[in-house]
Amino acid sequence: MALLEVEDLTVNFYTEEGVVTAADEVSYRVERGEKFGIVGESGAGKSVTSMSLMRLIEDPGRIESGEIRFKGEDILEMSETEVRELRGNEIAMIFQDAQTALNPVFTVGEQISEAIRHNLGYDDDKARERTIRLLDEVGIPEAEARYSDYPHEFSGGMQQRAVIAMALSCDPDLLIADEPTTALDVTIEAKILDQIEELAEEFDTAIQLITHDLGVIAKVCDRVMVMYAGKPVEKAAAEELFYDPKHPYTVGLMSSIPRIGDTRDRLQTIPGTMPDLVDVPTGCSFHPRCPYAEAACTRKEPKPVDPDTGMDATGTDADRAAACLAYTGDLAGELDYTVEVQGEDPRLQLGDHRE
Amino acid sequence: MRRLSDFTSGRQDIEPFTRDRDDVSPQSMRSIDGGFLSRLLVPQWLKRRAITVEIATPQTAYALGAQIPFEVTMKNRLPVPVTLTTRSPVLWTWTVDGLTEASHVELRDPPDETGEFSFSRGERKRFSGRWTQKFRVARREWEPATPGEYTLGASINVDTAEQDAVGDETTVRLVPE
Ligand SMILES: Nc1ncnc2c1ncn2[C@@H]1O[C@H](COP(=O)(O)OP(=O)(O)OP(=O)(O)O)[C@@H](O)[C@H]1O
Ligand SMILES: [Mg+2]
Repeated sequence: MALLEVEDLTVNFYTEEGVVTAADEVSYRVERGEKFGIVGESGAGKSVTSMSLMRLIEDPGRIESGEIRFKGEDILEMSETEVRELRGNEIAMIFQDAQTALNPVFTVGEQISEAIRHNLGYDDDKARERTIRLLDEVGIPEAEARYSDYPHEFSGGMQQRAVIAMALSCDPDLLIADEPTTALDVTIEAKILDQIEELAEEFDTAIQLITHDLGVIAKVCDRVMVMYAGKPVEKAAAEELFYDPKHPYTVGLMSSIPRIGDTRDRLQTIPGTMPDLVDVPTGCSFHPRCPYAEAACTRKEPKPVDPDTGMDATGTDADRAAACLAYTGDLAGELDYTVEVQGEDPRLQLGDHRE
Repeated sequence: MRRLSDFTSGRQDIEPFTRDRDDVSPQSMRSIDGGFLSRLLVPQWLKRRAITVEIATPQTAYALGAQIPFEVTMKNRLPVPVTLTTRSPVLWTWTVDGLTEASHVELRDPPDETGEFSFSRGERKRFSGRWTQKFRVARREWEPATPGEYTLGASINVDTAEQDAVGDETTVRLVPE
């Protein structure tokens, strides 16, 4: 049994503009100790998917169907108390705006200690000890002295590290990190990613890492799910995704590949923008931006299939899946792109041979 | 759909309300939220008539296959906030020939509860959408429309019997090039 199994998760927001399906039959799994990445443009549904795991979807949003099994138990069926027990204890989350996770009126050390006392039942001294060790491990210099600092006395990068320390303080089995480094500058970003990785390894914590940056995925993750307009469009082992992308959207994401910290808008190379989710294109949602789109793509919505066999791959078990009609024999043409590996650099460049 | 002229007779209905409002001291007014006040005092039938809905397209005829943009405008004609109770959290829908979102298959399975569509005093809301000249014929399949005349509609999701009061229609012609 995988640590986390998300099956057919659908989340709708009932807005004035219309119904927004922010997660549309999303299925994936995260194994124990695994680093699983979710990547996609802004608005793709990455945060909504992650918030659903903690049952933190707020009005006008509704988790409308699906199952979210954590260690085999459906989180969607749990009582509010059970879910609260899970949060911050077995599942910890670092939010996009992580700094807000720190309460300005308590010292950083106190906050972490409190979490440890509450979740692990440590006494004051032991909790303090563990906190200082954690602060030290996430790279806060002079951790013992810094224990009594207030959040505002920490730099942005240090606050972020403190939040990571807090998330890991209770030895969670799953850490959901939603763009944990976007607010930080590049040198710190790389360091913090390293730390998250190291700590996860040390504590044997699985990570669900959300990012819009394939470079971050390449650096950290074992397996990846690419989302577009609320739907999973590709799933693969991270390496496979980079060397053999199967969905034209993934290819587009890669064509200006990700160096950690590169500030260019990486999705510029895919012309157009992601659709407004109240008005999703017919057929394949990506067709208006896809260089390989044919008439069929406007009339048929592709299901995730195994790109080699064309067999259904919608379930949580599927390791390799791409939702493109090219793999179900519905297209006349082919997806003719190649991926070039440049030198020793594991980052890839993409040659589109159509032009 | 009803136009403003239908509504003049309703004016008398508003007047007592306006008077009521004057009777309330400014002090206590501040502590009562407008939505609550309107729920209390404006009868449901009047609230429905207070909201007008209009759907419009830039052209009346379109080449076959072209996108058809439409704009839906809703306006609260009352000088007080109005909240309509909708049949589900889906607040309003657009249709083509009576088919919600141009689909032959049921797309939505909203929670079994009512929704609330709120308008502030005199508020105008504008929504834009588009019909791609396709009908959804299955969960994952669409078919293009054939040449001819089609009716685009928009209505607030209240009881069917009352929908005419808070809906509007317009027609477009699809012509082969
Ligand atoms: N509170 C809300 N009310 C209405 N719609 C919402 C709400 N939260 C999210 N959505 C819708 O859900 C979609 C997905 O949002 P989500 O936050 O999951 O995107 P994301 O992939 O995390 O993007 P980003 O990279 O910008 O964080 C959005 O496009 C938005 O339309
Ligand atoms: Mg997000």
